[in-house]
Amino acid sequence: MSNTLKNSLLTLDARTKKRNAAETRFRVYGIAAIGAGLAMLILLLVTIFGNGLGAFQQTFVTLNVPLLEEKLDKNSTRNLEKIKKVSTFGYAPLLKQAMEDTLAENGIETDLKSKKQAALLSKSAAAQLRNYVLANPDMIGATVEFTFLANARVDGYLKDRVTRESIADDKNINATQLDLVDALLAAEVIEQRFNLSFITGADASDQRPEAAGMGVSMLGSFFMMLVVLALALPIGVAASIYLEEFAPKNWITDIIEVNISNLAAVPSIVFGILGLAVFINSMHLPQSAPLVGGLVLTLMTLPTIIISTRASLKSVPPSIRDAALGVGASKMQSVFHHVLPLAAPGILTGTIIGLAQALGETAPLLLIGMIGFIASNAPDSVASGFLDPNSAMPAQIYEWAKRADPAFYERAWGGIIILLVFLITMNTIAVILRRRFERRW
Amino acid sequence: MKDRLMDTIKISAKDVQVYYADNHAIKDVNVEIEDKTVTAFIGPSGCGKSTFLRCLNRMNETIDICRVEGDILIDGEDIYDRRVDPVQLRAKVGMVFQKPNPFPKSIYDNVAYGPRIHGLARAKSDLDEIVEKSLRKAAIWDEVKDRLDAPGTGLSGGQQQRLCIARAVATAPEVLLMDEPCSALDPIATAQVEELIDELRQNFAVVIVTHSMQQAARVSQKTAFFHLGNLVEYGDTNQIFTKPSDPRTESYITGRIG
Amino acid sequence: MSNLHISSAFDRDLEAIQAQIMTMGGMVEAAIIDAARSLETRDIELAEQVRNGDKAIDALELEINEKAARVIALRAPTAIDLRLILSVIKISAALERIGDYAKNMAKRTSVLDDLPEVTGAHTSLRRMAREVQGMLKNVLDAYVQRDADLAMAVISQDEDVDQMYNAQFRTFLTFMMEDPRNITPCMHLHFIAKNTERMGDLVTNIAEQVVYLVTGGAPEEARQKGDLSSTDSSISKV
Repeated sequence: MSNTLKNSLLTLDARTKKRNAAETRFRVYGIAAIGAGLAMLILLLVTIFGNGLGAFQQTFVTLNVPLLEEKLDKNSTRNLEKIKKVSTFGYAPLLKQAMEDTLAENGIETDLKSKKQAALLSKSAAAQLRNYVLANPDMIGATVEFTFLANARVDGYLKDRVTRESIADDKNINATQLDLVDALLAAEVIEQRFNLSFITGADASDQRPEAAGMGVSMLGSFFMMLVVLALALPIGVAASIYLEEFAPKNWITDIIEVNISNLAAVPSIVFGILGLAVFINSMHLPQSAPLVGGLVLTLMTLPTIIISTRASLKSVPPSIRDAALGVGASKMQSVFHHVLPLAAPGILTGTIIGLAQALGETAPLLLIGMIGFIASNAPDSVASGFLDPNSAMPAQIYEWAKRADPAFYERAWGGIIILLVFLITMNTIAVILRRRFERRW
Repeated sequence: MKDRLMDTIKISAKDVQVYYADNHAIKDVNVEIEDKTVTAFIGPSGCGKSTFLRCLNRMNETIDICRVEGDILIDGEDIYDRRVDPVQLRAKVGMVFQKPNPFPKSIYDNVAYGPRIHGLARAKSDLDEIVEKSLRKAAIWDEVKDRLDAPGTGLSGGQQQRLCIARAVATAPEVLLMDEPCSALDPIATAQVEELIDELRQNFAVVIVTHSMQQAARVSQKTAFFHLGNLVEYGDTNQIFTKPSDPRTESYITGRIG
Repeated sequence: MSNLHISSAFDRDLEAIQAQIMTMGGMVEAAIIDAARSLETRDIELAEQVRNGDKAIDALELEINEKAARVIALRAPTAIDLRLILSVIKISAALERIGDYAKNMAKRTSVLDDLPEVTGAHTSLRRMAREVQGMLKNVLDAYVQRDADLAMAVISQDEDVDQMYNAQFRTFLTFMMEDPRNITPCMHLHFIAKNTERMGDLVTNIAEQVVYLVTGGAPEEARQKGDLSSTDSSISKV
């Protein structure tokens, strides 16, 4: 009788209880670890978005600018060459006039001189005006409404970066100007809007942080990625196929394999020095060009692609190869007709992840000159896209973070957001593609 | 008696040795396999029957450390001659594997792949004809004729194996090698495949490796018993299963130890 | 080569069947002896025993058949196992027929009790029966020991039994021609002699099965047909 009670399934014996307790504890540790990781991730994201979202909003001033003929085209010739001779300096009076007119229109009174009034605008306003006139010379004489960027201090004021206390030592702006800003804000001449040119525009000099944008450096990154894709993918896949399917199993192959794994762990700055020495000094390729950046990144990404391609090839079951050989396919045919299509999803995933990594690399670009270059002009053609000096996204972010003006600081965070969006998108595409093309056999 | 005279020797193996690095896996095998006959290779695990089978279409060459000595002649030609291309050999000697392994392509492409790469069909209509004939020969045409574009991997186990058989006969081989073709199938699918083998032997020389002695007894006309790398006994299936000459053969087929 | 199957249940099944054959053989041997003795000593009770004992022999044959069918269905025996099962079925059938003849002998004993005695018949019949019983014992030994030579010897021993029957045939003819009152008992005795001779033939069948079991083939020389009574007309000429 007592025996059956001892072995009853309905009561837990001491050992089982202890084991259950241990497993519960382990589970708690795991959850705590995940929690810690998640907390840091949330901290990271909150910081990034908190600091960077501001870059997407910018302060704009809407003015009606009279395109005075006597300033722009004295002789009414509408000769483009002559009009071009008027520099941005010559457009400054127009802006001042426009500013005065606007203040009068809205009944705002101020003690400031027109020069100081116009100083509220970004220094890029004159250039913007000039570009418009050169594009539309027949509009000379008319009054056109323009939307200009406000200068960085005004923008900072609206974003609470600049306060009345902090401007005490600031030469660029004074309290009276800030009063004018308040008035213009109330009159809806100044407003904050979504700033598309942050994403599409070119970088700007130190003095015009409000005009700085990621666009050109994005193009630089894009051309670099093209180079990486065009070179690393075929070379990496071909090397993997050879190593996996055709290479004889001897000590030479072993050494090659070991070294490929080692290459994946080499610090990226080493590749930068390699690029400098080989591509720029020996081969005399243009400095700071996306072509060179792409070549360096290809070297870096190659081990990643080779390793992931080999893993995909290994995962194809040998029964498929046997079946192909049994039907009378040659080794090459069995690889290209059967193994490669089955391994393709894995290869694709590995490539995209490799590209995403390459996208975010900064150190190698340092040495080949893509940092410190101000990406102010978009490339005109595909060829110049590769060969003209440019910057890349991570380099651009680094550059902005270095500059003194606090407005650039905000832009650096904004750039990080854009970079993150790219990386997350690419990784998501990789996951989706893998899920979609994964086949069961 | 008349049938025996009409059977010719299709495959002739003389003093065949197979080495895996230093391991002497197959020793002194001499056997003559007849055309239009099903020959069964039986023996305990690891006795070398699969290894020897794979020698017949040079599939053992996919393993680097494998070395073959001796002569294997098909229709009088040494298949290990340097001038022979294994790819061409494998179109003549087809193979069906233990686990059904259709390509992850459509049923049509599975069967059409072999003829395509060997250039057996010039026009699409020729290819269609070859595919239909092969699927009919494999007794699976009626089941798949409406869904030739469906993936080959979506069929049941028995159907997949019959698809693999169709794929193997599509290249118009003269010899069909089958390595335990029914071991992954249920009894009904097994019976279907065995029925198929019986039909196939009218056109091909079939060599089948099997673990099931009952299957060997049912399906084959000649049986070879392998043990520890040696060919112990080779003869008519009837005689081997009622009155084997070698005590080792008797021991194995009656399920005795030793 | 070991004689044991990997599956011990298979070995147990085969042993059980063979044990039953031996039991059946023993029972049939006893039946022959008892029938002959009851004929000689005119022991009606013994004859009665023999007749009742035949039921057990029949039951054993049914059991053996059932067991053999089971082995075929479950084990798909091949080679020597197959020959064993096939021979067991045939041997048990032969033994059952021999048992039937013994019973028949015992039945006629009861009838002969009421009829006048024929001199010398019983002795010779007893000798014949003894001979057959000896053959049966030998063939069962040959079966157990898988001795094909002993089985061949048994086959040739049947010649003696056939000769004895021929002699008896002539003797009975003589008796019947001498005295018509002898006809009835002589007919019965003749049937007994014929049955005994048939028993000998059946034992020879068993011996052939033993040879098949051991060698897988038939005995090389054709069995000698010693019983000439149906073919040789000279035998009936007295």
